[in-house]
Amino acid sequence: MITLWRIFIASWKNLTRNTWIALATIFVFMMALLSVNVLLGVNAMLERVVTLLESKVDMTVAFKPATSEAIVNQARFYLTSLPQVSSVGFVTAAEALTAFKTRHAGDPKVLAALDELNGNPLGAQLVIKAKQSDDYPFLVQAVQSPQYKPFIQSQTYDDHQVAIARVREVSHSVRLLGAALVAIFALFGLLIAFNAIRVAIYTQREEISIMRLVGASSSFIRGPFILEGLWLAILTLVFSSVAIGLIIVWLEPSLRPLLDGADSGLATFFVGQWPTILLIEGGSLVGLTTIISWLAVGKYIKR
Amino acid sequence: MIHLEHITKIYHPDSVALQDVSLKIEAGEFVSIVGQSGAGKTTLAKIMIAEEPPTHGRVLVGGWDITHIRSYEIPELRRQIGVIFQDYKLLQKKTVYENVTFALEVAGAPQKRIQEIVPQVLKIVGLEGKAHRFPRQLSGGEQQRVVIARSLVHRPKILLADEPTGNLDTMNTHDIMELLLKINHFGTTVILVTHNREVVNGLRRRVITLKDGKVLTDLAQGKYIL
Repeated sequence: MITLWRIFIASWKNLTRNTWIALATIFVFMMALLSVNVLLGVNAMLERVVTLLESKVDMTVAFKPATSEAIVNQARFYLTSLPQVSSVGFVTAAEALTAFKTRHAGDPKVLAALDELNGNPLGAQLVIKAKQSDDYPFLVQAVQSPQYKPFIQSQTYDDHQVAIARVREVSHSVRLLGAALVAIFALFGLLIAFNAIRVAIYTQREEISIMRLVGASSSFIRGPFILEGLWLAILTLVFSSVAIGLIIVWLEPSLRPLLDGADSGLATFFVGQWPTILLIEGGSLVGLTTIISWLAVGKYIKR
Repeated sequence: MIHLEHITKIYHPDSVALQDVSLKIEAGEFVSIVGQSGAGKTTLAKIMIAEEPPTHGRVLVGGWDITHIRSYEIPELRRQIGVIFQDYKLLQKKTVYENVTFALEVAGAPQKRIQEIVPQVLKIVGLEGKAHRFPRQLSGGEQQRVVIARSLVHRPKILLADEPTGNLDTMNTHDIMELLLKINHFGTTVILVTHNREVVNGLRRRVITLKDGKVLTDLAQGKYIL
């Protein structure tokens, strides 16, 4: 017990008396962690952008003007009951006409042509949002059921089909690329941290051999170095967390206008995932410092 | 106390440091091991503290055969032999007090005992007022005193001093030798490895002279003859 306490005290003294080496090591650790976290953040933002894009995609089913409201309502209830459907919006014929006029306000020819027609040439519309973009092809089929097909004038999903496919493609690539980049940066981070510990211990190789000469056991020599590594890992985690928090606070408002006022997903990701991130990054750092300290000190423990 | 039987140390086939060296050092003796550079003095000292294993031969320290000592047994041996080095080998990030304390801490000495012994030992070497200084804040002579204090806290039966005055001026050399004689007077076996002629001749104690890795002379009241 007394030996453990001495190792604990020695590790703390080592840390405070080797301030510059400690700060340099923490800085290198932080760079390694931040590079991984920046990529995680970019990944989270890209996922958010993909989600936002996907949420903008919908399918509009326009009914023929003569279609009764009962048929439209029936179709609406049918679609709402499907598990693939997130929501079904109802647009009356009058609302559809108003929206059409607004959309073509700058096009006098279209408006003149509309005036020549008697009454409202548009029917009611249903605006369908699927839970996932993969579900639209199924919904297209569902809408085309013989029960409703005779009443449908047009459906606009075809216009979005290319966009949806493109979004899905981008989303898939982003996830793959993001995962690969995070893995590569994590590996670089580990190598950088590995080297930082070795350098820090290399600078104290003379001290290690002296400790041995005056009768210190291997574990008594290694103990403070391993604990010092733990302190460095903990301090790095604290400083990195603060740095990431400040970056998010500074960056989030600037990103909102780029995403039509929607949040960038950065804060949501880091706030929601911090226990996992901290556990994985902290665990890796602590494990790494322990193993490398053990091995690196052993290299300088001579007979 | 120390028994070396036919010790040979070969670093490389063309670099033989010691050749068939045999000698006995009794408890309470003050022995100087002298010789020119490359004679094998330091190798002999390293073999005595198990820093180097002999290539051939047998080493006994206090009846303990350390010829093939295991790595985990070495700390125990080092706690029984006080060692003084020419280049001091102090822990630069620790204060004088902590350097001396460290030698006791590694042996698991209780805090109370440390608090009793360390001030006493620092007083013996005349450093009681400089306990909280770092080695870089001390002169060479003072640093060597810290090393002596560190080697004394275990109350070792053997004190091995490898060129302890090599980096010191005449005044400090005299002080350190006085200290070593005082330590020997209280019963500790002192082995002095040196090539300082005046120091050896002034002692009038046993002198073992090494030349080319072999014992040239071993005289009870010897002089530096090379």
